Amino acid sequence: MSGEEEENAAELKIPDEFLKAKCLMNCEVALILEHKYEQLQQMSEDPMNQISQVFEKSLQYVKRFSRYKNPDAVRQVREILSRYQLAEFELSVLGNLCPETVEEALAMVPSIKTRGRAHDDDAIEKMLNDLSLIKKFE
Amino acid sequence: MLKKAIIIHLMDDFAAKKAMKDLGYFLAVTTVERIGEGKVRQHTGDVLFPVDFSCITFKILPGEILEGVVHKILKHGVFLRCGPTEKIYLSHQKMADYQYVPGENPFFRNDKSSKIEKGVIVRFVVIGEKYVEAEKDFQAVVSLEGDYLGPIS
Repeated sequence: MSGEEEENAAELKIPDEFLKAKCLMNCEVALILEHKYEQLQQMSEDPMNQISQVFEKSLQYVKRFSRYKNPDAVRQVREILSRYQLAEFELSVLGNLCPETVEEALAMVPSIKTRGRAHDDDAIEKMLNDLSLIKKFE
Repeated sequence: MLKKAIIIHLMDDFAAKKAMKDLGYFLAVTTVERIGEGKVRQHTGDVLFPVDFSCITFKILPGEILEGVVHKILKHGVFLRCGPTEKIYLSHQKMADYQYVPGENPFFRNDKSSKIEKGVIVRFVVIGEKYVEAEKDFQAVVSLEGDYLGPIS
């Protein structure tokens, strides 16, 4: 399989480019791709040339797997998660999977407990509570 | 008009490129940062413009937890679709306690009556991924071994 034996996202051992890049949640990608789609309809004479299968399948996927639809809610989710010293990758997994308990959050993103960051259970619980409030008011 | 033509060309090439081993699938160009000076190619008369741009890519990473949709059931496992890739394989051996139930619409089921069948969303952990250059496509092998993994209703 993969050449890198040590690669393991659960320990945040991911390729440098991905560690350094901005990582987007499904809901953010959905907003961007939908906007692109509209832009292309207006800009191009034959939009289907610039809309690949990858684009279409990805748009379908992120729309279906977005926990938040409203752009303001999406912005708020990013804002809340950004307060917690998370790596971009960790932030995106949490925003995508929306764990309901601290236990589930740790199972989804094991790396948040490691690397010497001050993420105790109370902080994680508060973060999850703040996220669930957004969902209620979407 | 030239700038627009260059951008459209960029997007055509980007769409055709489809994927790269290190970056994953190419989804969309997001911003064009800089278009450099054009250089005329001697023999064809084409002009080559270097373009700096940002884009969104998607790559499956070993150890990450994702959700996908079951689209094919086989005796020894199931195939899932996740974003642009349809070749995500979940082996029977990595679905602890699930048994294959044959029939016209086969499925897997565990003793708690949880079903894995076509159309079901499953949360899994990625064991490994592989890029197939010839098909410009990624494949992955995944597992349900871990807490909070399995079918999601």
